[in-house]
Amino acid sequence: MSVPTLLKSVQGKLCRVLRPHHVLGSISFPGRGKTKFRKPLDPHHEEELPEFEYVGARSTPDRLVFTWGVADHGGLGRASFVRPDHSKGQHHMAFVHHPHRLEFGEYHDVIDIGCGYGFTVFAVHKKSQYTCFGTGINTDSQIGGHEPRQGSSLGMLINPAPLNVALKGSAVLKVSCGRAHTVMLTDTGKVWTVGCNSYGQCGRPIIPDEDYGRTPVYRNLQDIPDPTITQIECGQDTSFFLSESGCVYSCGWGADGQTGRGHYNNEPSVGPVVGDVEGEKIIKVSCRADCVLAINDKGDVFGWGNSEYGQLNSVTDEMQLHTSRRLEFPGMKKVVDVAAGGTMCLLLDEDGQVFSWGFGPIGKGPEVTHSKDPTPIPSTLFGCNEITPEAKAVSVNSGVNHFAVINNFGSLFTWGKNPGGCLGQGHSNDHYFPLRVAIAGQVLKVSCGVDHTAALVKEIV
Amino acid sequence: MASRLPLQLTLALLKPDVTRVPPVLKAIQHKIIDEGFLVVRSKEMRLRQEQMEKFYEEHKGKFFYNRLITFMASGPTHALILAHENAIKHWREVMGPTKVYRTKYEAPHTIRGRYGLTDTRNSTHGSDAEDTAAREMKFFFPEFCQEVWYKEQESRFRRRMVVLDEDTFVHSSAQCCRDRHTIQYVYLLPWRDKKVWRGGTSITKH
Repeated sequence: MSVPTLLKSVQGKLCRVLRPHHVLGSISFPGRGKTKFRKPLDPHHEEELPEFEYVGARSTPDRLVFTWGVADHGGLGRASFVRPDHSKGQHHMAFVHHPHRLEFGEYHDVIDIGCGYGFTVFAVHKKSQYTCFGTGINTDSQIGGHEPRQGSSLGMLINPAPLNVALKGSAVLKVSCGRAHTVMLTDTGKVWTVGCNSYGQCGRPIIPDEDYGRTPVYRNLQDIPDPTITQIECGQDTSFFLSESGCVYSCGWGADGQTGRGHYNNEPSVGPVVGDVEGEKIIKVSCRADCVLAINDKGDVFGWGNSEYGQLNSVTDEMQLHTSRRLEFPGMKKVVDVAAGGTMCLLLDEDGQVFSWGFGPIGKGPEVTHSKDPTPIPSTLFGCNEITPEAKAVSVNSGVNHFAVINNFGSLFTWGKNPGGCLGQGHSNDHYFPLRVAIAGQVLKVSCGVDHTAALVKEIV
Repeated sequence: MASRLPLQLTLALLKPDVTRVPPVLKAIQHKIIDEGFLVVRSKEMRLRQEQMEKFYEEHKGKFFYNRLITFMASGPTHALILAHENAIKHWREVMGPTKVYRTKYEAPHTIRGRYGLTDTRNSTHGSDAEDTAAREMKFFFPEFCQEVWYKEQESRFRRRMVVLDEDTFVHSSAQCCRDRHTIQYVYLLPWRDKKVWRGGTSITKH
């Protein structure tokens, strides 16, 4: 049954119940004599009743937020998982291994999500003064300062609470989170950071022995030479900023060369990544742990940072690379998306074919744990079959030890290590090939943390 | 339970990646007690880069040296002296191999396999031999004298006549406690009525 006919029949039933008394006849209530409920006499009366448009022509489906994985650190954003009210039948949940619809998403129009290590940050469409909310671990003020009493700042939030960043009228559009810091991008193209700055990942000078948990320091990065930033990305302790003109800037931990600045030291000042990415129009940067991948508008792949597990083996045998290099993959078509996890990488070409390489559960079953070169993952695993032959992957994402791929029907496929059930497959065993996650809706964006995952989903109805 | 073998001491470090994540820190502390270790000393400290350079002198020149030093100086570290009949070897077994990414497949139930983040952010450190243990204990606890401890405290620890203080996470001699039975009870059931996530199942202790 199509949606309009379904609605019409529902309306018919609704109208019957709400019909005025003189049509229904008399209704007497229990205890006041005989109960009588007469049916309508006119069988065509139903057609004469007015129709109501319950779903307006211009209304758009709502966006929902789903979270799953380890719940103990509060990053799933539901208070009852951590502090259950037993009188209401709630139970303590150490982890949730299936997607859980977040109540916060019903009351706020969430436009972007970011998962760090044990915390989740939401960018919300501007209605009030707050456009950025966070939940989970807050020991380094990564989700702002929350001090119910003076001198006792909260190290963990179990419900989303606003980040009190002084945006002066602008709104947060995008968020990205590292191990213990958060980067926010506003609608004016400005970047704000908050949280742990022990490697300079917040783009401000490192102060020895600073207690990040006590006072949150919101930093507006003003020293980026490019006026407009369009994408932000965080490794565990590194931050990347992509400008409108396609230039990549970085700051933070550089011990593996993940800042790409030509050295292996901490880098608290924001500056452009050197090497082969210079002069290219980069359209995406991906980094979840210490290995970084980037693609330009022509579909070339660039990489730098950690290569201990052969992630950058196509250009170097070194363990670390402090300068960006163009990765040559012979025979590869135009690359449209990349994802770099801790030891493994994903790549998506323009035909929707997903390739993986590196060490770990690279999606080829439990026996294959290592691949030096990108090898394709069968597209059947991403929903391409007789019924939906046009299904293909459109977005690849990675956590530190797990992957998540979205196809053009909005289905989500995950595989990898599964601590606390962060794959959302309904169990907490590791999974070695892509499998669809049961989510009620079309997945728009997925963000993988270390041991939990969050997804932004469009309602189907 | 009361083993009569002499105790061995080892130094354990809980590194900055776990000290900032309270549920994981709690779970690791729980694991230490569950594995039968006694905590002789415990200290939270913020290490400086120069200190760590001295501590990790043996790794100088290796490719991960700089990474290790900057990581260790990035946040607070918990230093512990653990006592057990076979402390050094047992603690290294409980920790698991150094390389976290590999350990996650080869030994997933060890501390590093479960809570480690990356190869450097590998949650814990443990001494590898008796002489390094003595050196490392001296480094982190200069006021702690092994000889005095063995002379005065070891027999009590060996007979498990010690109580765990949950706030400071140190076992202390139960001399001050009057009731011997209470002491045994406290040792047997640390963290009563608390639930700790251990990677697989939710466990309730009653």
